[in-house]
Amino acid sequence: MAGASAADVRSILSLPNSSTPASTQPKRAAPLARKPSGISRELYSLIGPSAPTLVAQAAKPRLKQKPNLGSGGSTKWEWRSFKNPARTDGLELGHWVKANTDPSADYPFARYNAKSADYTYTQDEYTKLLEDPEWTKEETDYLFNLVREYDSRFYIVTDRYEFATGPPRSMEDLKDRYYSVCRKLIRSRPWAGDEASKSQIISTFQFDKEREVMRKKYLLSLENRTSKELAEEEALYVELKRIEQNEKRFKQDRDRLLRTLLGAESGLPDLPIDEDGPLGDPKKKKKGVANELDSPATPSSSLFASAVPRRAQSAKSAAHDAMHCIQRTDGTTPAGTTTKATHQAAYLRSFRLAYPKAAVAAKVTQIAAELSISLSRLVMPTRDTLAQHEALLEGITTLVEMKKVTDRVDQEIRTAKMRLGMRESETPAETPMDVDEDVQAPDTPGEGRAQSVVSTRSGRSRKQTGTTNDRRSVSVSSVDTSATSATRAGTKRQKFS
Amino acid sequence: MTTERVRVKGLSIYRPIIYGNTAVVLTPEEREAHPSREHTHRWTVAVRSAASAEESDIVGGADDLGYFIRRVTFKLHETYPNPSRNIDKPPFEVTETGWGEFEIQIRITFIPEAGEKPILLYHHLKLHPWTASGADVEVPPPADVAAQLGPVHSWQYDEIIFTDPFQQFLNTLTAHPPTPLPKARRRPVPFHIANPGSLEASKGGVPEFSSAMEKEEIQRLEEAKKSVVGEQEKLRASLTEKEKELERLRRELGEA
Repeated sequence: MAGASAADVRSILSLPNSSTPASTQPKRAAPLARKPSGISRELYSLIGPSAPTLVAQAAKPRLKQKPNLGSGGSTKWEWRSFKNPARTDGLELGHWVKANTDPSADYPFARYNAKSADYTYTQDEYTKLLEDPEWTKEETDYLFNLVREYDSRFYIVTDRYEFATGPPRSMEDLKDRYYSVCRKLIRSRPWAGDEASKSQIISTFQFDKEREVMRKKYLLSLENRTSKELAEEEALYVELKRIEQNEKRFKQDRDRLLRTLLGAESGLPDLPIDEDGPLGDPKKKKKGVANELDSPATPSSSLFASAVPRRAQSAKSAAHDAMHCIQRTDGTTPAGTTTKATHQAAYLRSFRLAYPKAAVAAKVTQIAAELSISLSRLVMPTRDTLAQHEALLEGITTLVEMKKVTDRVDQEIRTAKMRLGMRESETPAETPMDVDEDVQAPDTPGEGRAQSVVSTRSGRSRKQTGTTNDRRSVSVSSVDTSATSATRAGTKRQKFS
Repeated sequence: MTTERVRVKGLSIYRPIIYGNTAVVLTPEEREAHPSREHTHRWTVAVRSAASAEESDIVGGADDLGYFIRRVTFKLHETYPNPSRNIDKPPFEVTETGWGEFEIQIRITFIPEAGEKPILLYHHLKLHPWTASGADVEVPPPADVAAQLGPVHSWQYDEIIFTDPFQQFLNTLTAHPPTPLPKARRRPVPFHIANPGSLEASKGGVPEFSSAMEKEEIQRLEEAKKSVVGEQEKLRASLTEKEKELERLRRELGEA
């Protein structure tokens, strides 16, 4: 025997063999193995398979198979110029490409220039959904601008984050705000696809701040261990292993003893022997901890996991239900509350067709007509079509309300411009064009509007006072309408359900 | 017996039905023979199960609805003798002749075990051929032209939903599972004014309801929703832009 085998080490450490099935496996398999070539049968039957050095020498030298280096002739490469669509300056660079590739194909790496979806929100949406005592709208705007600018690289965003009037923010604060806003926006906006894709995209914006903070704390403490602590941990682990194995052996011994004493047939079919040792399967446990640590802070997987079994369970009776046209409404009506008075009478499906709110009904119907959809009736009023119909109606209503807000903002812009124009004309007119250019400098697409300012100004300067008062009152009333539309939106849900 | 009068909670069960009418133009001979000369059409108004039987020459009616419907009352125009027609046995239908279209009130009464009140629905008796716009033409086509166009069908699909039914009634219902609608279109599509595009597909024989129609409608609504969402995105982008501008203007106003 040359050198100590693994089994020897184990026996020295007084660890039983049984725990390492991997090492026993080949031993059992060996006698069954075929006689290797390059050794005579007689010799082989004498020494058996336990002559590795001899066999290795006697066996024919086996070389690694030659790698196939494209023996089918050499490939032709060409120097071609290409354009990267990610560049805005249209610079042309050259690179070597295989001659057989399609010269008209796009630059293959262009597809990695992916832009993440860019979420913006209107003032209306902000007041309705996104209010947060911790955050002002300005700071939220600032955050979204930074995230856009640095392409969602939160380390950079955190590094550059400098909002003068706000409290200091950690990366988790920023992420939490950003993702929660995105989630709310997705949830509230009508979704063009189906529900599954919506919940999927929401889950990609899932962020659990507590968990993330905890995770980083754990990681930090893991990194901050001293070598002494590491050694201690290692020692403890080995000790634990030893105890476990001792325990196991002790149990096995006890079991064997009991069997021999009482006899295997005397009614002790299975003594409860738990194989896992006192602390359960350490491997499993360790794996679980590791998972906990390195899984990203998206609890989406657990979300799906909890959703799946329910579906699987209901899938069993789904066929039965479909055949009999049964639809279950699990738990929406608490059991026992349905008395005769509250019992829902039989009805036709089409009775539950959602109808537009009276305030916007005319406009909604008009838009629906433009889409050649009749909102008042369906060809096949089933549960699915009704749901689709309701989603459509909701979408159109939002559209109409958004149009209203846009009109109001338009009106306010006009008023503001008018007042601005007036103020300018009030100042002694030295070089009005200069002032104008100043005004529109930060916003180049506003040229058309600036012109309108110029053109309307001359006419308006004559009747200044009258219009100001007029316009002011208008803007007040439009603020009024915004308030009512906000409250209306609050009641919207009830109306639809 | 007492256990039978227990409501099964958290469950609703529905039965697909169709209601509507079929109308044909009377031949000149029939008009001659008819006691009232001004009558031009023979029509049948009915409440039936949604699926059509194989090889049948009527719309729907594959199942006998008598297992849960006790009576259907059709309330015709008052000028008809005995305008309230009670039909207590399937087929639940009334055949009459007439010259004009009017609203028919249909009352469906359920079997006593259901413990449900009757439900009311309305159907506009359709005699004259459909047009793509769905609106009635000012002057209906003359009798010979209309006769060539074939029978006029006007049917509405719907589902009667029973919420938390009595156990006994539920047993009755589940003992009669409805014939499922055919997956694909086998015959012409019943025309519906909510889907004017189906006019061409509705021609050429006795129509039949199929689940493809539901899919088609979902698709139609989805398409519409997509374009609405697209519009919203556009509008939202411009709104955000405008709000920014407004803010800028306000700031200027404040500074000035």
